[in-house]
Amino acid sequence: MQSRSIYKVPNGKLLKILLEYDTKKNTINEIKIMGDFFAYPEEAIEVMEKELQHTTLDENCIMEKIKLVIKENNIEFIGLNIEGLTKGILMCKK
Amino acid sequence: MKEQWRLLKTGYNTAAMNMAIDRAVLVASSKDMVPPTVRFYGWSPPAISIGYFQSLKEEVDLDNCNKLGVNYVRRITGGGAVFHEDELTYSIIIPESHKEIPNNIMDSYGRICGAMIKGLKELCIQSKYVPINDIITDGKKISGSAQTRKLKTVLQHGTILTDVDVDKMFSLLKVPDEKIKDKLITDVKQRVTSINHILGRKIGFEEVAAAMKQGFEKEFNVELIEGSLLEEEKELASEFERECFGAKDWNHRR
Repeated sequence: MQSRSIYKVPNGKLLKILLEYDTKKNTINEIKIMGDFFAYPEEAIEVMEKELQHTTLDENCIMEKIKLVIKENNIEFIGLNIEGLTKGILMCKK
Repeated sequence: MKEQWRLLKTGYNTAAMNMAIDRAVLVASSKDMVPPTVRFYGWSPPAISIGYFQSLKEEVDLDNCNKLGVNYVRRITGGGAVFHEDELTYSIIIPESHKEIPNNIMDSYGRICGAMIKGLKELCIQSKYVPINDIITDGKKISGSAQTRKLKTVLQHGTILTDVDVDKMFSLLKVPDEKIKDKLITDVKQRVTSINHILGRKIGFEEVAAAMKQGFEKEFNVELIEGSLLEEEKELASEFERECFGAKDWNHRR
């Protein structure tokens, strides 16, 4: 199923998620993380999108995966944070 | 003796070339080929630039851009969509290790925006930096910036509005909900201002550039010496224009 969300991160920027997920397995097939936030290095967002594939659409699973990718790729978000990104993704779930 | 930085005034260029020049200078700076560089420029034709993470077709009305002859380009920096018409655009390209540049990204935004604030002061406009990336005067936004760090080099570029046509801007940008578009336009008109509006007169590009030059010189205690692009930078810029910023693959990638 394809779904999208728009979420204004508190004290941050506008996050737009485009999500394709497997309703039976409750996992992410494809994800696009878009918006007017900042992330350093920028290209790491594509790594994040790839790494989130097959992740279970559950708050803890998503948050742990995001934390791991941030740590491994030394990502710094400005105008976006782990909680905001997790919330934006889960808002896509119908 | 004060440290000397290079000042580039590259005039008006297409959106693709403008972004290509900034990136070319970043590469040249990373190879120690050029001193820290401040660049002032404009856009011809007018253009929309979008942030690295934005979706082109979700943010920009491409049909209207084509109809009105407005360029569009994806930046290498994050942030939001910007309509570039009546403004001075600045960029600063400087090694990350330079003593004047804070390691902390948010601190460095504030420091570089300090140059714009001092420049606006030269025009008798009082303003302040509002994180993340805005400068406001009298409660309204007059300048926005975006920064990237690549190849151990900082590139920050941004706009200083000399005039603003919010209606035209919204004819080129898409909004998430068409039903609230009118309200959004009213809101933006109340939240954005320009040098012309504040001063009550039309200001020229050169006058703004002269003020901003002083702003950078005062903020960083340096002397800006007007120079030109190296041949290598010009070649790199042409390459980036052709293969990146002028290419569909790049602009439509998200």
